[in-house]
Amino acid sequence: MEDEPRALEEPRAEDEAGAVEDVLYRIFQARFLEDKVRELARAGRLSRDWYGFQVDARTTVVASAMRPRSDGRGDACFPGPASPGPSLAFGATSLEFLRWAGRRGTSPAAARAGGASWTDLRRGLFGWSGGRGIMTQVLAGAALAFARGSENRAALVFEDRRAIETGAWHEGTSVATAARAPLIVVLVSTGAEPVADGRSGRGRSNLRDVARGHGVPLVDLGAATCRELWRAAAEARALAAAGRGPVLGELPAPALGRPCCDSGQLASWAERAGLPHRRVRTLEGTARTEVEQAASRLELEPAPRPLAALAGVTAGVAPLPPWTRRHPPDPRSRRPLDAVELSPAGASGASEDVLHVGRAPN
Amino acid sequence: MTADRPSQVARTRAGEPATLLEAVAEALWEEMERDDRVFLIGEDIGAYGGAFKVTQGFLDRFGPTRVVDAPISEGGFTGAAAGAAHMGLRPVVEMQFMDFVSPAYDVLTNYVATSLYRGAGPLPMVVRGPVGGGGRGGPFHSQNVEMAFFHTPGLKIVYPSNPRDAKGLLKSAIRDDGPVVFEEHKGLYRAPRCRELLPREDYAIPLGQARKALDGDDVTIVAYGLMVHHCLAAAAELAKEGTRAEVLDLRTLLPLDEEAIAQSVRKTGKLLVVHEDTRTGGIAGEIAMRVNERAFEWLDGPILRVTAIDSPVPYSGALEDYFLPSVADVVAAARYLVEY
Repeated sequence: MEDEPRALEEPRAEDEAGAVEDVLYRIFQARFLEDKVRELARAGRLSRDWYGFQVDARTTVVASAMRPRSDGRGDACFPGPASPGPSLAFGATSLEFLRWAGRRGTSPAAARAGGASWTDLRRGLFGWSGGRGIMTQVLAGAALAFARGSENRAALVFEDRRAIETGAWHEGTSVATAARAPLIVVLVSTGAEPVADGRSGRGRSNLRDVARGHGVPLVDLGAATCRELWRAAAEARALAAAGRGPVLGELPAPALGRPCCDSGQLASWAERAGLPHRRVRTLEGTARTEVEQAASRLELEPAPRPLAALAGVTAGVAPLPPWTRRHPPDPRSRRPLDAVELSPAGASGASEDVLHVGRAPN
Repeated sequence: MTADRPSQVARTRAGEPATLLEAVAEALWEEMERDDRVFLIGEDIGAYGGAFKVTQGFLDRFGPTRVVDAPISEGGFTGAAAGAAHMGLRPVVEMQFMDFVSPAYDVLTNYVATSLYRGAGPLPMVVRGPVGGGGRGGPFHSQNVEMAFFHTPGLKIVYPSNPRDAKGLLKSAIRDDGPVVFEEHKGLYRAPRCRELLPREDYAIPLGQARKALDGDDVTIVAYGLMVHHCLAAAAELAKEGTRAEVLDLRTLLPLDEEAIAQSVRKTGKLLVVHEDTRTGGIAGEIAMRVNERAFEWLDGPILRVTAIDSPVPYSGALEDYFLPSVADVVAAARYLVEY
């Protein structure tokens, strides 16, 4: 919400060189996690929902172009449906991911969330919640806070592309636009959205029109290579952080036969950045070890205790207050028989439960 | 506008009595001066000063980063307030009319209210705005929204009946680490009978504590907001017949001060709950159940309620008068209970 936008920051060569190593490690980590999750699902140790689990490495690359920190002063990120890729870029560990996937709930908060939320605001990670578009609203608010403090920080939100069909998404984008908040919205396409009917013009909306409608720039994230994608994301961040307001980006459905961020591209990027092959192998080995250790540790962790997990969240009253009686009955003192009238049911031999107590004589 | 303050936030400093609207404005102003993390967001609250002029002059004093004119998107700016709260700010969201909070119901109940539960930490934010009927505003500008949120763990709901409470409770709400829904009855905003001198010093009234508005021992009448004034008027009528009604002002609906209610019922043995909200699913039902759990054997009569009827708020004046609870209704119900 500054009067004048700041100058754009161009991605610097040294930033890119430093980023390659991080990106490589996270992508290795994501791929080993992908294998591990499928293995655990096949073994029945994770829900069968995870059989077909895939990490879109491109989301890891996009998130790696942000500036995460662990002291609550970095960028913010909502990983969205592509989790865990962006989460890994914001410092989530393999163990944290496996706890989430396994609904282990080894901390009270994680237990309460049932595995659906993965939040660590110091690292800038926002957990999942609500329907499409809601997290665009929330991250717009984080971005608004950054703009208010004139901080060089940005908020990144991944949304399913169909979020743009919701009012919630448009409202969030509208708020961010009005405040010129540094928000980057990455719309992830699955390719399963309704396609446009060329003759009627119905169906899938054109993102360029949507961006124009909101008066915000649209950044093409359909890059052919990992390096180009990282640079495009870094430019989107620079645009947003410079006070231009929100930036939209579309991550199109992966093109068959033209994978972005495959091993060949990563190797080529590493070579270009001057990263020795031996170092790449070391990164891969370290990522593999981390995932294996996380999986073993997961099995050893105890399940949460319900009372500990719910402490501090309930309204502070016992679920069932003690019943009150003005004169608690004394089981030793029974009413005299002449104070009791037998009901027809009692007369036919029913239990004392159906006796009607009459007025005791004065 | 005085030298350094708009008139609606200068009453107490000038030693003049304040209305409920002015008390709300003073609370906002003083909290914004005290803590620069506090900011306001809502429709037309900046340049226009708000639909009821609560925030008139705030933009000049605090600037556009702290008095944020939002697009017409209640869900959007409530969600954004949540995100800003995560980043350490303390947003106060103004709904132009609380009837318009419904587009924000999703983010309030699914995201904001569950924040602590989900491990996303405390989420300090207030959603405040005008409620209530009697102003001929019809179905979209007259509703009471408390029960739409009452069933949602994780929220607090505050509904003051007088300027002193409004100011003290709003300060507590802003300082609270959790989300608070704060309702202000339009019928009390500028009501002359509600003007009162407020303490000059900074004060806050704790959330979750009811207030005994009138001491009595024949019947307990529980109410909040504008209805407290109806009940006090009814109590004055009943006093002419020798009936001493105790009037309890809830002030905070969630958490509910059930101990205060139970204590009063144990003393009087009779309970009447009065609310302006519609009958079915109103707070009277919950209060009746709590008394059943905690003070059943002290009751000497049925628990009664006086409420609005189950209908959208009518636009026609004659129909709205029929729809809303009246002092006569309260008198009749209390009399019935006392004679029971």
